[in-house]
Amino acid sequence: MTLTVSPPAPVQTPAGPPSRSRKAVPVRRALAYLLLTVLSVAVLVPFAWMVSSSLKLDADVFSVPIQWIPAEFHWENFSNIWERIPLLTYLRNSVFLSLTITALQVLTGSFAAYGFAKVRFPGRDALFLAYIATIAVPWQAYMVPQYIIMQKAGLVNTHLSLILLQAFSAFGVFLMRQYYLTIPDELCEAGRLDGLSEYGIWARIVLPLSKPALASLALLTFVNTWNDYMGPFIYLTDNKLWTIQLGLRSFVGLYDAEYAMIMTGSVLSVLPILVIFLLGQKYFVRGIATSGLK
Amino acid sequence: MAVTTLSAGTSRRRSSTWIGWSFILPNFLGFAALTLVPVIAALALSFLDWDSYSTPRWVGLDNFERMIHNDTFWTALKNTAYYAVGHVPLTLCAALGFAVLLNQKLRGARFFRTALFFPYITSLVAVAVVWNMLLSPDLGPVNQFLRAIGIDSPPGWTTSTTWAMPAVIVASVWRDLGYYMILYLAGLQTIPAELYEAAEVDGANGWQRFWSITVPSLRPTTFFVLIMLTISSFKVFDLIQVMTEGGPGRSTLVLSQVIYREGIVQGRFGYSSAVSMVLFVIVLTITLIQFQLQRRSER
Amino acid sequence: MKRHLIPSLAAAAALALLTACGGSSGASDQAAGGTQTIKVALWNYATTPEFKAIIDGFQTANPTIKVEPVDILADDYAEKVTTMLAGGDTTDVLTMKNVIDYSRFGTRGQLIPLTDEAKKLDAAKYPGLSSYDLEGKYFALPYRQDFWVLYYNKTLLKQAGVDESKLKNLTWEGYATLAKSLTKGDGGSKVYGAYQHTWRSIVQATSAAQTGGDLLSGDYGFFKDQYSMTLDLQKNGTLMPWATASSQKVTYNTMFSTGKAVLMPMGTWYASTLLADTKSGKTKVEWGMAPLPQRAADGQVTTFGSPTAFAVNKNSKNSDAAKKFVEWASSEAGAMAVAKAGVTPALNSQQILDTYFALPGVPNGDVAKQAFKPGKVVLEMPVSDKSSDVDQILTEEHELIMTGEKSLDDGLAEMSKRVKSEVR
Repeated sequence: MTLTVSPPAPVQTPAGPPSRSRKAVPVRRALAYLLLTVLSVAVLVPFAWMVSSSLKLDADVFSVPIQWIPAEFHWENFSNIWERIPLLTYLRNSVFLSLTITALQVLTGSFAAYGFAKVRFPGRDALFLAYIATIAVPWQAYMVPQYIIMQKAGLVNTHLSLILLQAFSAFGVFLMRQYYLTIPDELCEAGRLDGLSEYGIWARIVLPLSKPALASLALLTFVNTWNDYMGPFIYLTDNKLWTIQLGLRSFVGLYDAEYAMIMTGSVLSVLPILVIFLLGQKYFVRGIATSGLK
Repeated sequence: MAVTTLSAGTSRRRSSTWIGWSFILPNFLGFAALTLVPVIAALALSFLDWDSYSTPRWVGLDNFERMIHNDTFWTALKNTAYYAVGHVPLTLCAALGFAVLLNQKLRGARFFRTALFFPYITSLVAVAVVWNMLLSPDLGPVNQFLRAIGIDSPPGWTTSTTWAMPAVIVASVWRDLGYYMILYLAGLQTIPAELYEAAEVDGANGWQRFWSITVPSLRPTTFFVLIMLTISSFKVFDLIQVMTEGGPGRSTLVLSQVIYREGIVQGRFGYSSAVSMVLFVIVLTITLIQFQLQRRSER
Repeated sequence: MKRHLIPSLAAAAALALLTACGGSSGASDQAAGGTQTIKVALWNYATTPEFKAIIDGFQTANPTIKVEPVDILADDYAEKVTTMLAGGDTTDVLTMKNVIDYSRFGTRGQLIPLTDEAKKLDAAKYPGLSSYDLEGKYFALPYRQDFWVLYYNKTLLKQAGVDESKLKNLTWEGYATLAKSLTKGDGGSKVYGAYQHTWRSIVQATSAAQTGGDLLSGDYGFFKDQYSMTLDLQKNGTLMPWATASSQKVTYNTMFSTGKAVLMPMGTWYASTLLADTKSGKTKVEWGMAPLPQRAADGQVTTFGSPTAFAVNKNSKNSDAAKKFVEWASSEAGAMAVAKAGVTPALNSQQILDTYFALPGVPNGDVAKQAFKPGKVVLEMPVSDKSSDVDQILTEEHELIMTGEKSLDDGLAEMSKRVKSEVR
């Protein structure tokens, strides 16, 4: 295990505290690794249970005591599920909704955040407080008035309803605004002196610098939308509009639940997120050129 | 952190108002129509009696009076505060700690980061089931381990009124730390490596670098994380609903559940809005305090 | 690279918005060629056979009316219907999943009165009809009536040398003794003599029905015997501890169909699940049904149950066709369709019973036939605007008693106190 002390100021190093004095590091490293491994295993336990359950028969999922390794591997669950419910349709809907909502949130959120962070105008802070204030109200409280507005607009039972509801959330604005506050004003000033409009500054200077925040916002929005149950449940009545989460819940019958199928579907539905996460990590972890102070 | 304006002319101010609004408008229009208006309507409902179908009836403070005398409301309020006090600091420390730990060029850091994010993306049903199973009083591994090290009557966890909330808090910290870790990781990217190198040259050790460079630079991120954590703790619903449904009895019942039950389930929308109003005021107050502290630390 | 980022994001978003507009907002009335379409709100269409049976049967009998199912997930059915109605939804027929939801929708004026149609039905043949009486008016007609029986594992019973006929006249004491003797083994291979699911009704509705107690009264001393028996059985290992069953989300289907329990009180709807599972090979258990155990062996069988009904939405634009549907489902023809799907219809006649028992797989010995002739079926929970509040309180206290967090006496006292003070 070689230890690395970060060399002076190459642009590509990940930002972060370099390791300590050379002699203590291998032990500390080893301990850190041990801790991380134990924690990661602990953290993966429910997922392990999910996978194991997805290969069982319903009746065996909740056997007492728990069987970690299924007695028989029912791989056919993974092929059956595509016929039991129109999983392809649901997948397509989930992908469509998640991508659209994520794109819109990132776009409008970062755009609005610039106004809140870098432009001064009267009432700005009060308005921003209003944004945060709405986050403070649980959705259960205003879900019916919201539904009535949607119903009057004739949008109930369409994908558009969910897109409109979730694309303009206060969360995205809040996150990006905080991030923009860390971007030095001098950079914006430099842009103005170069003759850029505010929009130009946003597009050419601020947006590229905020890739980690954009990536985080995109990831979290995607995951939240993908896993959202209540929104699609309330607004999507037609079966062909359903998302994966609705499809999975349909295995909970009136008085009993087909948990094996639910877990099979859950395993399948986690895979896209996993892929995105693994691929996208470099956007919010690998360092960007922060030494860009002209 | 104020934006410094070089010239303070009126025309500059007027045009910056225009510009500011033009940035905000796309998001604000959607937000106002679909979130702000329903929220205001919902809060206004607290002064009415409405069953979602017939015409609403003005009742003034009746809903609040009913709420004050309702034992379930106070229980839920207490539980929600208990949950928040446990959840917020634990999650924040864990998220920050892991973010700092995993921001380095460790081998396999990518794997660890993914692993820590897993709880957040795992199906909630699976999370609840597995945690309940792990904490099962007779056969669960946790209690078996406790018995093995000599504790004769280990806690009943989610089946005990005393231990249910701690169990829920642990499960929720476990679940959320990946989420907030991502936010901190993004925040850590704004800290230039040169600062750390300069400090190391000056002889500062890891701890000192952490406290004098990392923590202050992360202030906007911490502000964000703290507010989101606080708000989401007070609003908690899903995890508790799936893990314990507020039980056993009412020992893990939280305000959002009361709001949901009274409103959607029982049809007492006026009353449930009154409870929402209380939740809203509490959270807003805490947020404002945090806002003020942030402002003050910036000066 | 970055220059194209924003325009392409914006373009993608705009394109997505345009495509999203293409979701249908529900079928409009089709008057073409004289066919009407009515929409029926129901749940889990694919796995609840009686809906398809009723819809197919009705469409055959009424070729000019098409029925479109509005499939809503079972778990949150009431919440979704409440929200839909709040928004002025026009779904024509609404399935009333349970009587408590019905009383809420009915008293709020969201349903069309069906009193005339209800009076046409022979009340003697419809034990569940009176549950829908809201101060003289009816807003729904029952099509299905479930009640509680005792399921038993024929194989395990035989192995223990117990004859089926013993279950014909079982008292609760007899049940307790029998269950204890049938409990064998421990750990992973334990077979419980009986399994009582976590629902409060198993203890509370049973005692209310069999002692005549009133679940809304606020006085719950009449629960005592039933709780004592259950807690004793839990203590001596005959019943799986409530805490374990609840935290492990044990399903009664798993316990019974994998042979982990010999006796199980459960509703008649479970038979249709067993029939379907046996047919598909998911389970191999040989099962029987016996009357629910009683307080005394005097030949009288009192059990509890719940009807399920259809109602017509006040906002419906096809109320005549909708009313026809509701009436058909409750009629003899509808009851036949339901029985053939393995579900117990609301109409109680010999012909219906014969149809039901003729289904392949349904146990049709003496014991089962007796289970289907209960003397009295009491409603699981009385209908009133206080029902759901009381239900909530009783459930919470039930949890505390069954987990041992409160003693039985304390729990019963707390129930009384809370119901009397909190329910307005």
